[in-house]
Amino acid sequence: MWWEKEKKTDLPPPPPLVAHPPEPVKPENPRMEPSMPETIRRDIPNASSPGQALIGRSIVIKGELSANEDLLIEGQFDGTVNLQEHCLTIGANGKVKAQVNARQVVILGNVTGNIHATEKIELRKSGSVTGDLASASIAIEEGAYFKGSIDIARNGAPEAARSVAVSARSLVEDYDK
Amino acid sequence: MPFSAALGKSEAKHPVAAASGGAASPALEWLWGLLRDVPHIRVLDCGPVSPQTAQILFKRGAKLYIADLIAPLQRRDALYWERKDKQLVFRTQDFLALLPAIPAATLNLALCWHLLDLAPPEALADVVKKIYGLLEPGGIMFYLLREAYLPAGVDTAWWLDSLKTIQVKGQGKIAFPYPAISNREMEKLAPGGSVKTFLTRTGRREIVVLKPGGTL
Repeated sequence: MWWEKEKKTDLPPPPPLVAHPPEPVKPENPRMEPSMPETIRRDIPNASSPGQALIGRSIVIKGELSANEDLLIEGQFDGTVNLQEHCLTIGANGKVKAQVNARQVVILGNVTGNIHATEKIELRKSGSVTGDLASASIAIEEGAYFKGSIDIARNGAPEAARSVAVSARSLVEDYDK
Repeated sequence: MPFSAALGKSEAKHPVAAASGGAASPALEWLWGLLRDVPHIRVLDCGPVSPQTAQILFKRGAKLYIADLIAPLQRRDALYWERKDKQLVFRTQDFLALLPAIPAATLNLALCWHLLDLAPPEALADVVKKIYGLLEPGGIMFYLLREAYLPAGVDTAWWLDSLKTIQVKGQGKIAFPYPAISNREMEKLAPGGSVKTFLTRTGRREIVVLKPGGTL
């Protein structure tokens, strides 16, 4: 009928069959790590950052290890580690039996052996150390296991004492949040 | 799991220590007076790892030894018990192997907290003797001993809040497994040592054992 024809022409055009979803917004840095607060980044022990070498979970190494870059150990290592100017992180899955020399050492896994760091040693709450620690600054989180001795390097005694105080306090504050 | 982690964050603090920034410790005040002229002290902490204690002792210029002898006793860790003639026997030497390698007669101070309230009576003499042997002449052991009327408190953890104040956490509901140690018994446990007792209002005595000799 004539009025039915007119009604059909008034209908809006059907939507297209293939919808184009909006393009996902790519983050500038896919890892998102630099924009994360420090407390969150600290809780991602398995994420190795760019410029950091990685010994993966299934890797077992015995011997002497030297490097000129930061290193994350998630596997097993027996021997000696020398990273004089760099940072060594023993990840939550890492098992290390070694004498360690580095600028900074962060421990989330298991270490048996003596550790010497020129700058700082951090023993996180998941970390376990049996051995002697020596550094200018040492921070220990509550809940960590430790058996051994801790010696603060005293090149300039007041400076060393201050750095220890600050690092220990910051860890305590983070833990309480 | 370390005891301090197992406690979680919700436990109530000890009423005395919670009231302020820690409970004043007359024994600590006394012993730091004795150690005031020792610049770089060597200290053994027999409690769970405590960032606060470590921070305070580092500020004081200490070399710190840590061995958690408390947690295995709180857990009644099966590693340190064996069955002999249908009786459970404490493996004292295996337990003492928890201590790190510390040269004999080198420590200025051993913070033993409530270690003796938790250890089996048959092990007390060996435990005290071992730690006493690590003290240098003039060195000091610091203990907390419960009064006989305090029935429970196994599940507590103690640490330094400052050089002269202590803090505690844990609900203190788990009953002590052994009778309280008297002052006379404590003197017998540390032959040759000078035992000094400080009374407090917390249901615990503070005990210091001073190893004679040295320049103190």
